[in-house]
Amino acid sequence: MELIFAYIDPGSGSLVIQALIAGLVAVPIFFRRQIARFVGNVRGKDEPTETAVIQDEPPKSG
Amino acid sequence: MAEPAEGGRNAPSTRAARDPGSYRDPAGFVFRRDGEVYRQIAATFAEDWETYLESGLHERLIADGLALAFEDVDPSLAAEPPAFRVIRPEQLELISYPYEWSFGMLQDAALATLRAQSLALESGLSLRDASAYNIQFRGNRPVLIDSLSFERAEPDRPWVAYRQFCEHFLAPLALMARVDVRLGGLLRDHLDGIPLDLAARLLPARTRLSLGLGPHIHLHARAQRRHAADGTTDAKSEATMSAKRLATLIESLRDTVAGLSWEPAGTTWAEYADDNSYDDEATAAKVAAVRAALGSAGGKRAWDLGANTGRYSREAADLGYRVVALDIDPAAVERGYRALKSQKRDDITPLLADITDPSPALGWGSAERTSLLERIEAGADVILALALVHHLAIGANVPLPMIAGLFARLAPYAVVEFVPKEDAMVKRLLSARRDVFADYGIDGFRAAFGRHYDIQIETPIAGTVRTLFGLRRRD
Repeated sequence: MELIFAYIDPGSGSLVIQALIAGLVAVPIFFRRQIARFVGNVRGKDEPTETAVIQDEPPKSG
Repeated sequence: MAEPAEGGRNAPSTRAARDPGSYRDPAGFVFRRDGEVYRQIAATFAEDWETYLESGLHERLIADGLALAFEDVDPSLAAEPPAFRVIRPEQLELISYPYEWSFGMLQDAALATLRAQSLALESGLSLRDASAYNIQFRGNRPVLIDSLSFERAEPDRPWVAYRQFCEHFLAPLALMARVDVRLGGLLRDHLDGIPLDLAARLLPARTRLSLGLGPHIHLHARAQRRHAADGTTDAKSEATMSAKRLATLIESLRDTVAGLSWEPAGTTWAEYADDNSYDDEATAAKVAAVRAALGSAGGKRAWDLGANTGRYSREAADLGYRVVALDIDPAAVERGYRALKSQKRDDITPLLADITDPSPALGWGSAERTSLLERIEAGADVILALALVHHLAIGANVPLPMIAGLFARLAPYAVVEFVPKEDAMVKRLLSARRDVFADYGIDGFRAAFGRHYDIQIETPIAGTVRTLFGLRRRD
C-alpha cells in the first residue's frame, strides 16, 4: 500500500521497528495499568483533586 | 515572514507571497496577502480535508485549544491558483521556534502534538507530521498551526511521523533533561530535528536501560542504521501495526516525554531575582518609574529584553501590553513560563534568546525561519531593557553607540535602565577584569542614545544610583 500523503520521510528503520518498540513498551504500560486499577479499587472513587501551585515571582533587577 | 514588515503594508492589495518556510507539503501552503496569513489547499488533498472536517476532529481540537480556528474564504484569493480551498486561520501575533523555547515549553509542545494524534486516531485519522515548527505558543498555550496535518488513517499502518516526533521532540528533551539543558541549542543546528544516532551517542549509557528512552531513542537509532541501505518499497510495504499497538506507542511516548524533567536551578541567573541590589523601597521606585515611562510610550506590543522571570513584563502586561519576555537564561525562562502557566496568563510569552547572538534567519534560502531581530522589528511597539545595558556594555564589550543603534532599530520607543559603575552589580562585573570602559557613564549613555532618540523621561530611581530613561525614536 502506498503512503499517499507521507510527504515527510518516515524512514525505513523507523517504520520497521515501530511494531517491535510498541510491543516492548506495552509491557510496562500493562503493569502500570494493573497497578493503577488495583490502587483505584483500594482507594475507591474519591480521588484527591489537584491543587494548582502558584509560584510567587521574586522581583528582578541587576 | 514573507517580506519585511514595511513592505507588507505598502504592497498593492493584490500581492500575495508564499511563506518561505511553507514548501515541504504538496497538500498546501501558507501565504500572506495584505499582511494577513492564509492557507491554500490543493485539490489532491480534497478528500482528506473533507474527512477531517466531517470527522468532528477539528471541533474536538478547538475545544482542547489544540488547533487554530479558520474561516473559508474565496478560493480566488489563492496565491498560486488553482486551489481547492483557501482558508484564513486565526492570526497569530508571535512566531517563535523550538530553539527559543524553555524545556517546559518544548515538553508542552510535545504533549500537545501527542494529544492531537490521540484524538485523531480516535476519529479515524492520523497526524501526518510531527514537526515542532507546526506548534506555536498563543500566550503560554501550545497550538497546532498546520490545519493540513491530518489524513485518513490507513488500517494497520505504523505512524509515519514517529521518526519526526522522536527527532523534533523526544531527542532534544531527553538531552536537555538527562545531559544538559543547553543542548536544546542543538535544535538551531538541526532544523529537521536532532538525528537519533547523535542523541544516542550523547545520552548517558544508562539511558539504554530506560523503559522509554531505551526503545524510542537507542533501539530506534540502531534500526535506522540497520535499515539505512534498504530499498525504498520493501520496508514501507511490509511494516504493519495494529491500531491497538499504535495507541500503546503513543501512550508510551507520552509517558516518556512527561517523565523527563528538568529543574530550573544552578544556572547563572536562576537565583538572580533573589540576589540583586534592590531592596523593597527601591523596587517600588523602579516599578513606578517603569510604569510612568510605559504610560507615555503608547502601542500595544512590548518586548522585554533581559526579562529574567518576567517581573517587569507583568507590569507592562498589567498596563495592557501584550509582552514577549526574552531572556538568555534557560532557568529564568523556565521559571517565568511555569509561573505564567499556573496563573493562566496569556498576555506574556517567555522566550529564550541571547540578544548578543539572536536567532539568525535559517533554512532554505536563509528565509525559512526568520531572524529574531526581524520578528522584534515587526512586532514591537516598545522595548524594555531593564538592568540589561551594563551586561551588554561591560559583560559583552558592546560599545554604547552600538547598543543604542540596535535598540533604535527594534522599536519606536525604548524604556532603558542605566546602571553606572558605582552600582554594586557593575562593580561585580568589573571585579575580575580591567576596566577598559572609559566611555561607560551616564554622559556617554545620553550621547549614544541621544543620537537616535529624544530623551523624554530621565528618572533617577530613588534609593539607587540608577536612572530610568524613556526614549522616543526620531523617525
